[in-house]
Amino acid sequence: MIGTPDLEAIETLWKQGLEEAYTAYRPATTGLDGEDRHRVALAAALIEVALELQRLGRPAAAAPDLLRGDLCLARASRLLADTRDQRLQVSFARAIEERSAAAAAERPLGPARDRLLLAIADGR
Amino acid sequence: MAGDRIALQSTRPTEFMDLTGRLQRVIEKAGLLNGRVHLQALHTTLGLAMNENEPLLLADLEAMLRRLAPAEATYLHDDFSLRRAVPEDEPANGHAHARNLLLQPSLTLLVEDGELLVGRWQSVFAVELDGPRAREVAIQLEGEFAKGRPDRTRRLIELELERQLHADPEQVGDPMRRLVEAGGKRFRPFLVLLTARLGPAYDPLRAATLAAAVELIHAATLVHDDYVDESPQRRGRPTVAAAEGPARAIAVGDFYFAKATRLIAELGSPDVTSTIAVAMEAICRSQIDDLELRGRYPGDEADYLRVVRGKTAALIAAACVAGAQLSGASAEVVERVRRYGDAVGVAFQMTDDVVDFSDRSGKPMGQDIRERVLSLPLIYASEDEALGGEIQQLLAGPLPDRELRRVVELVGRSGALDRVNREATDLVQAALRELEGVDLDGVKATLAEIAESVVDRSA
Repeated sequence: MIGTPDLEAIETLWKQGLEEAYTAYRPATTGLDGEDRHRVALAAALIEVALELQRLGRPAAAAPDLLRGDLCLARASRLLADTRDQRLQVSFARAIEERSAAAAAERPLGPARDRLLLAIADGR
Repeated sequence: MAGDRIALQSTRPTEFMDLTGRLQRVIEKAGLLNGRVHLQALHTTLGLAMNENEPLLLADLEAMLRRLAPAEATYLHDDFSLRRAVPEDEPANGHAHARNLLLQPSLTLLVEDGELLVGRWQSVFAVELDGPRAREVAIQLEGEFAKGRPDRTRRLIELELERQLHADPEQVGDPMRRLVEAGGKRFRPFLVLLTARLGPAYDPLRAATLAAAVELIHAATLVHDDYVDESPQRRGRPTVAAAEGPARAIAVGDFYFAKATRLIAELGSPDVTSTIAVAMEAICRSQIDDLELRGRYPGDEADYLRVVRGKTAALIAAACVAGAQLSGASAEVVERVRRYGDAVGVAFQMTDDVVDFSDRSGKPMGQDIRERVLSLPLIYASEDEALGGEIQQLLAGPLPDRELRRVVELVGRSGALDRVNREATDLVQAALRELEGVDLDGVKATLAEIAESVVDRSA
């Protein structure tokens, strides 16, 4: 189901949480057209996995995990750019801004999935 | 009164070198508001001229110089048997001296409101008549100065960055502000602001937002890079990771990746959003490559180019493209500035690598080798038939000071630095060719100047 270019260099993450997250976000994307449903669900899953890899709000990740997390965030950004949907792009960016600012301030972070589901809803 | 020098390196026997952009930067650096700028060539086979920078016209003018003072004519100056105390390296260049009579040894130009006063088609040239050579043009400026007045484009970038950072939460904003205020070339935002003038929909405020967002992406990558490389300092100050701890550094980088993405999305140009997103993906992909390559250091040329195109050139090219797209520039212009940015970006990194082998780099010579940073001179030197074996053997060890100095010495002896310099110069020439034959609405000279400055620096 997931095309190779979307997982290039992060293939191993698919079975390490990405597939589960992707499946969990799919229902929230109902109503978007086929390709955009895939893009938005995968973007949300990539962001969730990235923040987990980078241990945002916890002791720092090791360098390779930080860089894989960066690639996940960048790929999510590119998938959202491919939707050409400005509201979704802004909504997801705000979610990451909020969580990273909270992490920097050492404030407790709620579940990432709840916040990203809200981003999908806000962006539509 | 203020003075300056412009250093030039010609690459051909006869060459029109456009000084217009560099003169403007000299004026801005000096803060001259209204007055005059005097130029004087410091050589007898280098002239000055004002004319149109149009390639076919310049070819016509070169042909005219050849007709009026042919190289194959007889010049007593070239008969060394008749002259006294002729240096060993004296060239037969009577024709070049004769051609110089047709040009000016000095020029005076007017400056109004901080801008060099030139007509739409006028460019200022230093004309090489006996190249290739290293040349120098002396400059004096007189008139009304506003001391410390920063150039307007740079000021716009700084103001927009300050504005964007002002409202951010202090836990992320303060560390980023310290990094941004510590300096930096602002190379990428400057390119955005230049190329944003190339289309009919130029809007300086939207362009400034895009420029600041691109600089924030660059800064965010530096914050994460410094943690990955365990660098203690950046721009003479502790890195964010060193000052605030790695967990905060990761959060700061993530915040500004996201914020920059949002600022760009809010501009409402899907093409610009896509251009930057693709570049960010390329950067992150190549950072993973870079880390993996450290296990088989120093790698090869193909590895190097792949990583450099992603880590350095991708965002430089994207800055050029995004600025042009934001203003609605034509597809041809967008493609030209993309190729220009890619070539300049790779040349920029190659020159950085060479500077790292000089004592003018501002950091201990060879430090990058010890940190296993990819380096094209080192790659070429390690492939050298005579010296490569010893270099590879040394790199396999822990590299204490003596061994490190030996590696630096071997790289210097191998000719690799000259080779990389030549390749960087070739790339700059390729970038300059992208600027020919296309309407670049007044920014061509500055883009050319930026490309040339990439290989004309010591640090």
